[in-house]
Amino acid sequence: MAALLDVKGVSLSFGGLKAVADFSLSLAEGSLTGLIGPNGAGKTTLFNLLTGVYQPDVGEILLGGQRLNGKRPYQIAAAGAARTFQNIRLFGDLTVLDNVRVACHLRATRGMWAAVLRTAGYRNEEAAIALRAMRLLELFGLAAAAGKQAKSLPYGQQRRLEIARALATEPRLLLLDEPAAGMNPQEKGKLRELIARVRDEFKVTILLIEHDMSLVMQVCERIAVVDHGVKIAEGTPGEIQKDAKVIAAYLGTAESGAAAE
Amino acid sequence: MSSFLQFLLKGIAVGSLYALLALGYTMVYGILQFINFAHSDVFMLGAFFSWRLSVLFKINEPSPVAATGVLLGAMALCSLTGFLLERFAYRPLRRAPRLNVLITAIGVSLFIENAGQLVFGKNVVQFPPLLAEHTFEVGGVRVRSVEVIAVVTAFALMVGLHTLVYRTRMGKAMRAVSIDHNIAGLMGIPVDRIISLTFVIGSALAAAAGLLVGITYGQIKQPADSSWVLYGLKAFVAAVIGGIGNVPGAMLGGLLLGLSEQFVAGYLPSELRDAIAFLLLIIILLVRPNGLLGRRVVEKV
Amino acid sequence: MVTTPQAVVRSLLPLAVAVGVAVGLELLLGLLGFYAQKILFDIGVNIILAVSLNMVNGFTGQFSIGHAGFMALGAYGSIVVTYYGGYALFGDVMMHSTVTGYALYFVSILVGGVVAAGAGLLVGLPSLRLRGDYLAIVTLGFGEIIRVVLQVSQPVLEPSEMAAVPWYEQPWHLGRSLGFVHSGSYNTLGWTWTAVAVTLLVAYRLRESTHGRAFLSIRENEIAAESIGVNTTRYKVNAFVLAAFFAGVAGSLFGHQLGAGTASRPEEFNFMKSFEVIIMVVLGGMGSISGAAVAAVALTLLTEALRSFQDYRMISYSLLLVIVMILRPQGLFGTHEIWHLLARFRRKGTR
Repeated sequence: MAALLDVKGVSLSFGGLKAVADFSLSLAEGSLTGLIGPNGAGKTTLFNLLTGVYQPDVGEILLGGQRLNGKRPYQIAAAGAARTFQNIRLFGDLTVLDNVRVACHLRATRGMWAAVLRTAGYRNEEAAIALRAMRLLELFGLAAAAGKQAKSLPYGQQRRLEIARALATEPRLLLLDEPAAGMNPQEKGKLRELIARVRDEFKVTILLIEHDMSLVMQVCERIAVVDHGVKIAEGTPGEIQKDAKVIAAYLGTAESGAAAE
Repeated sequence: MSSFLQFLLKGIAVGSLYALLALGYTMVYGILQFINFAHSDVFMLGAFFSWRLSVLFKINEPSPVAATGVLLGAMALCSLTGFLLERFAYRPLRRAPRLNVLITAIGVSLFIENAGQLVFGKNVVQFPPLLAEHTFEVGGVRVRSVEVIAVVTAFALMVGLHTLVYRTRMGKAMRAVSIDHNIAGLMGIPVDRIISLTFVIGSALAAAAGLLVGITYGQIKQPADSSWVLYGLKAFVAAVIGGIGNVPGAMLGGLLLGLSEQFVAGYLPSELRDAIAFLLLIIILLVRPNGLLGRRVVEKV
Repeated sequence: MVTTPQAVVRSLLPLAVAVGVAVGLELLLGLLGFYAQKILFDIGVNIILAVSLNMVNGFTGQFSIGHAGFMALGAYGSIVVTYYGGYALFGDVMMHSTVTGYALYFVSILVGGVVAAGAGLLVGLPSLRLRGDYLAIVTLGFGEIIRVVLQVSQPVLEPSEMAAVPWYEQPWHLGRSLGFVHSGSYNTLGWTWTAVAVTLLVAYRLRESTHGRAFLSIRENEIAAESIGVNTTRYKVNAFVLAAFFAGVAGSLFGHQLGAGTASRPEEFNFMKSFEVIIMVVLGGMGSISGAAVAAVALTLLTEALRSFQDYRMISYSLLLVIVMILRPQGLFGTHEIWHLLARFRRKGTR
């Protein structure tokens, strides 16, 4: 399979601090990869680089062969990469449905004049958007809450809504930043099934930052480990669990890393 | 050449008043990150308090002692105003969105102006001659003694503030609060008291600026006259030009603004003077968004 | 794309109703006294101002406090058209009830809107790099710059002087700080309220559309908005341009007010005017179209009612503003529309 995402020797420093150093990663189309590492290892910084929030000092990022360097976040979203945020960033005052509908905007083609004049084409498009948004909400078990304000949802549902919103942009690459944070074991179980289902149904490639080791080990096919901005290991869950460097990075055993979560 | 010198001196005189006022804006912005729109009204009150105090104590003769007394009195009254302002209008909104605080500040400003109009009347007031007026010529340029005194007073106060902020424990606490309220609080710094203090000091400086404006121009306009707000806005612009939250920056910005205004008014149609501040602001923000002496701020994602 | 004729007609129905109301008002014009007309004009102009400012402050969450500047540009832009155009076409500045006469006024309103929109683009561009308070102060400064520039313009040309000045220099003869003296009074209630109807319709349809949601997403969370593909820069500029256009239209109407043959002075468009519009938007609730409109009506009426208590009017407004900010920071209607709240109220009533 061809690589969908190709990160080639990317580095970024803040002042004197090297946040990401000579980082390379290649994700095959349709793969599900975990990105793990201790707190402050540079995982979220890497997501910010991939989505254009930061620009790399050196190195190259390719999505489906298209260079992402120098692109702004909205252009990268248009190129097919969507993300969720570690600290949830929903549109709190909008309804749950509108949170998803606004993300459908990216693929909408009718202009402002059409919206003001309410042309038939525009109305057809709006109807299609509403339908697609509701389907996504159903898939994520949020249909009943469609009319509620997003900020009124419980934490776990907010995390799921963020994933639904990201999917509404019709991405090829989905970046999930700690989707299980703050969830109870039951919710985590459901989330695990959901992630696998999303990958199969939407044919997206997924890169997942997660501290919950059991989740990562169960759901991911491959895992990359970052420490101090450097990729120290990459391989299957089985290989990673046995990797000496990884164990050292997590101060002792892999179990203590999981327990720290 | 002599007109050039004239504009230069006048620019320094006006600029030092902007600088004095800019300090109040920059200190509050540094600590609370909002434009204290009511600062221009404290400045206005400074002028009117000075006038009322002079009338109250029947000061009709120029006298340095009386002038100092009036200055201290006005500073005390304005400090109290600033303290009350923060305590009752801004503190309830400490955790509110910044937009709300800004609107509140505009509301407070309108309130003081219009209430001031009721108290002090709606007419231009002749300012009592607190200082003797001498005019002398240096190299073909007219210099007014009151302007010299205004500049000297302004600089003395600014140096005092600078020492306070960068050389004392209290100043260290203020700088700590401006970096992070919560952490400063955890370090045992009384955050609320430091914020109050910031308002008190800024208001005292505004009072001094008010008195100096009264002395320099010989008259003061009615409280709701838009020139007060405009004066204040320009001072805020000066603070932004210098780098908001930065004490030397406010002084630099104030002087720069005063000089540009005088030169523009001198060589171009004088009506353009009111526009120059905002033109400078737009240019500076586009070229150096954090001002001349400001540091870059990165937003965390 | 399938566009049936019925669909087009149906989509324009609300506008037709609104224009009908405007025409009705127009016919009533003769029956209303001067005072009632004046108040209805003021209400209309203020609704347009408040609803348009709401597009920037309420929809996109940017903070513009220089709305009066755009209004001034609209007023002056359109007066230039009717004054110099009127003399060129008819030899006077009277409203002529001919097709040409109506067309002249219509074009002048559009010109006012477009001039203001152009300025909106200019202010919108720096806004890409500025946030919050900085943007606020820049917009305010921009309004002040416009006022100052108007004050240094040339005196208005008398009809006898016009021939001597080439047409392309005429628009710079705006009357300095005296204002544009002898501008014509073209405006009627029909024009004003048709403009109100169009403004409300555009604001509402836009906000309910995918573009409107893009505006709102910027207000809610700019970083997340970018992450789902909203070009925040473009939408912010769009909001500025749109708001400025309608402020310009409001200015055009204001500048041609009945009996305003006197002058539109630059001083009328200072930041106090901008603050008045902000008070309307904030009281109504940021983001609520009907809220802004209702607040515009209420404050215009209140201003009239308190005219004999001038001294206390601004005191009470400012106190109201501070109290609302502390007790009900989202404004009276929040981001909701009036009918949402009414529906909720009715539900409670029946239970």
